Amino acid sequence: MAAALALGLSLLPEIASSQEEVASSIRRYKDQEVSTGYYEEYEVKPRHELPLVGVPGVSRGIFPYRPSRAEVRIRTRLEDSHWGIKFYENRRCEECHVHETMDDHTVRANLTCRQCHGGEPIASIDHYYSPLNPIRRHAYVCAKCHEGASASFASYVVHEPPAGAEKTRTSFPTLYYAYWFMLLLLVFTLAVFIPHSFLVGLRELLGRKLKVGK
Amino acid sequence: MSTRRIKRFSKLDQGFHVALMLTFLIQSATGFCRLFITSPWGETLTGLFGGYETSYVIHRVVGFIMIGGFLLHLVYLLSKVNWNNLKQSILGPDSLVPNLEDARHLWQRLLWFFGLGPPPRLDRWAYWEKFDYWAVFWGLPLLAITGLMLMYPVRTSAVLPGWSLNVAVLLHRAEAILAISYIFIVHFFIGHLRPFSFPMNEAMFAGSINIEEAMEEKPRWVERLKTEGRLDAAMAAQPVPWYRVVYFVFGYAALAFGIYLLINAIAYSPYARLH
Repeated sequence: MAAALALGLSLLPEIASSQEEVASSIRRYKDQEVSTGYYEEYEVKPRHELPLVGVPGVSRGIFPYRPSRAEVRIRTRLEDSHWGIKFYENRRCEECHVHETMDDHTVRANLTCRQCHGGEPIASIDHYYSPLNPIRRHAYVCAKCHEGASASFASYVVHEPPAGAEKTRTSFPTLYYAYWFMLLLLVFTLAVFIPHSFLVGLRELLGRKLKVGK
Repeated sequence: MSTRRIKRFSKLDQGFHVALMLTFLIQSATGFCRLFITSPWGETLTGLFGGYETSYVIHRVVGFIMIGGFLLHLVYLLSKVNWNNLKQSILGPDSLVPNLEDARHLWQRLLWFFGLGPPPRLDRWAYWEKFDYWAVFWGLPLLAITGLMLMYPVRTSAVLPGWSLNVAVLLHRAEAILAISYIFIVHFFIGHLRPFSFPMNEAMFAGSINIEEAMEEKPRWVERLKTEGRLDAAMAAQPVPWYRVVYFVFGYAALAFGIYLLINAIAYSPYARLH
């Protein structure tokens, strides 16, 4: 009986850990990490805590924020960058950060926001606790996939501004001027050579017809 | 039409052109695999090249082959320079270096377009042929340098700031789109579809052109060969029929594939991002 049971068990497939099907046809961050990458769906929900200090227009908080000079709170140095945002716990990043979900890291490599920005509370990128703080970004974030990434490497702008936009002229001038130079080169080259080729063809066609007519 | 032909390109010239054709088509297709991967057509195209990662490997390997071919061509070019008569070698009528005569020919051609004058009496190389040739010297190094930067981003960031990779992506994609647009629209039209060339300008594949065609489009070149007593030496044999079949099939396959890429790229352009 025991021998039959052992034989039966040996014929069964090996026991495997639970696995997740991945529908994407391209490279995934998952290759670099044991996690599924779907933090927002499966693993982490924002905490439900009341902030100690509120922000303008939001009446939450034990000590409501009273601006003396700035009307809008600057969020780039907060421990919790989403502090005081209404219904934050039920919202998804892309509802507000639309542009940031369209770059190659998100679209091609299927990275989710929290894989770089960290878990809740998501610190502002310039806050000391943030993994994206420039003092440690290359080591804590970039080097997960780009082995050997340096601080210089980390100056790559993941969420690029629109290259041709006027505001990019001051925020990323090299990208702005490169864009306009290439666009003008493309337009100029095609604007000269497409009509040139068309006129050559038309003139040759007419010339041949005239020859045949004679 | 006469069967007498004038030699126009050496075997090595033809070899360089075929190599450039093949590598350019592969780079265009595998580059589009990456550019359009988020579109349904991009997925189909990528499937033809073995998937996203494989198409990238092909793109990189063929990129290195292109760079090697370009360096080889530079050596070849230097070997063709007559260092004892440098001025004539660089500025003479057999040279591809643009000169003031090209500007005059362009002006004459513009007048001819509108029936205001005779066509320019071209010598061996027309101004648009010179543009085609030198365009590679701008495009290929730019694509090669930005391509190497993107291939080795961590090493690049050791000598350049990381944000230069943002610029490299933009330059690589924009230059590729410029080259592809130019080749698949302008070069294909001039080489295949204009009445003078239709159904195909065989010069680059046969290595020679019919003497009557040469007289019609490049009369000054033929006259110069006659005056210098070099015409007989420049005569070439008619290409054999099977070879003509091969290059017609090859040329039209390249044309069809290029137009397939171009039409789909235009149709799916909302999916493409320059950076």
